[in-house]
Amino acid sequence: MNSPTPQFVPSRLGIYEPIHQIGIWGENFKSNGNPNTSTSVIVEVDNKLENESETTSHEMLTASNNYKQEASKPIDKIQRRLAQNREAARKSRLRKKAYVQQLENSRLKLIQLEQELQRARQQGLYMGGVLEGSHIGFSGTVNSGIAAFEMEYGRWVDVQHRQICELRTALNAHISDIELRILVESGIGHYFELFRMKSTVAKADVFYVISGVWKTSAERFFSWIGGFRPSELLKLDPLTEQQILEVCNLKQSCQQAEDALSQGMEKLQETVSSTVAGGPVDEVSYIPQVATAMEKLEALVSFVNQADHLRQETLQQMSRILTTRQAARGLLALGEYFHRLRALSTLWATRPPEPSLP
Amino acid sequence: MQQAIPYKSWPLPCIDATSHRARSTTTLGHNGRGKDVLNIVSENAVIVLARKGCCMSHVVRRLLLTLGVNPAVHEIDEENEAGILNELGTICKGTENNKMVQLPAVFIGGRLFGGLDKVMATHISGDLISVLKDAGALWL
Repeated sequence: MNSPTPQFVPSRLGIYEPIHQIGIWGENFKSNGNPNTSTSVIVEVDNKLENESETTSHEMLTASNNYKQEASKPIDKIQRRLAQNREAARKSRLRKKAYVQQLENSRLKLIQLEQELQRARQQGLYMGGVLEGSHIGFSGTVNSGIAAFEMEYGRWVDVQHRQICELRTALNAHISDIELRILVESGIGHYFELFRMKSTVAKADVFYVISGVWKTSAERFFSWIGGFRPSELLKLDPLTEQQILEVCNLKQSCQQAEDALSQGMEKLQETVSSTVAGGPVDEVSYIPQVATAMEKLEALVSFVNQADHLRQETLQQMSRILTTRQAARGLLALGEYFHRLRALSTLWATRPPEPSLP
Repeated sequence: MQQAIPYKSWPLPCIDATSHRARSTTTLGHNGRGKDVLNIVSENAVIVLARKGCCMSHVVRRLLLTLGVNPAVHEIDEENEAGILNELGTICKGTENNKMVQLPAVFIGGRLFGGLDKVMATHISGDLISVLKDAGALWL
């Protein structure tokens, strides 16, 4: 910290102190970003300066007899240096505040981008796989079908949420059965709407529906042929003995139908697999096998439609077995269940990363 | 070229006998006629008409099997498909729907019952078993 100009001790200190101080702040920030240490350093430096300036001003006073003409100058310079130092410190603190603010914003944006990337990657992965080597035109049609579905589905979820809230308030308010019936009908109809939407997009790209990319991750965990298992609908507590019997029968029928469809799917997998693997391996051309496999995969659309049809029929049968009030409660429970699954997915996506091992 | 159509005959459903176990998969040859198909249909309590290698027919079969019914499955070649469907369409016009018969098609008691949709819906509503019993496809 030695300066080439030895005349005024204060000026020597004045030139170097602020830079030293900023340097300290910068280093501290790099190491641990702890605001306290930097401030304390600045405070230290300030104190140090003040102490030294006191001694120097004292020295100055004793030497003032020798330097009468320039007596006021050193004191002014001391004052000015101090002021500059304070100013520099203040600016430094403001800069640091702005920097931290920027970091926070960037962090939030990073989380958002990561989520988007995750979603896009999942879509991009299989879409890239399916459309490998296909024409731009086809992929354009597929993309527009999928884009349209995604928009509609977003709206569907919003309406679903609204309906659930309406059902909840209606049940608590004990409205008449007739009014409740209207809500139940619109609730069931809303699911039917979803099945229609899925049928349309399945024609554009059946793998999109079956992979369940359009759903949240937790919902996907329970996915069965592009949607929820119809037997999931039967988790209710019916009242009368007759109802228990009927629900039991429905449960059994539902299970049998699900099993039949699952086995059909397995058969389809076997067929497609053997078709793709068929033919001599040492031959370069595999187009015939792949082309045949594509034809067989058309059946996948029927499976999605049949699975949705089963969901539809099960919903209708349930509404026949139950009273209006029971059906309302059932719909509420079902909607709430999926809502919670979606919340689970969001929570899962934003969970803190696991700490890396030291 | 006229050929003797390979035609496997099976016993007619007998009320005294136990469950109808005449499981057979037939494939009509090159000269398959809709009339022959109708014969087969009327001779079986339950029969599923399907395209060759159709996975949906597998679904129908499995479902009927779990109910205790062993349906006959009749596979149709692609070439004969249009002709046979036409024949069936004209015959079934009187009964329920005038639209084209969809494959796989299920015939119960000699009459067109419907496709997989209909079977599923009827099964869920609990009516399928009684329908099968009425046609003599199920005992017990």
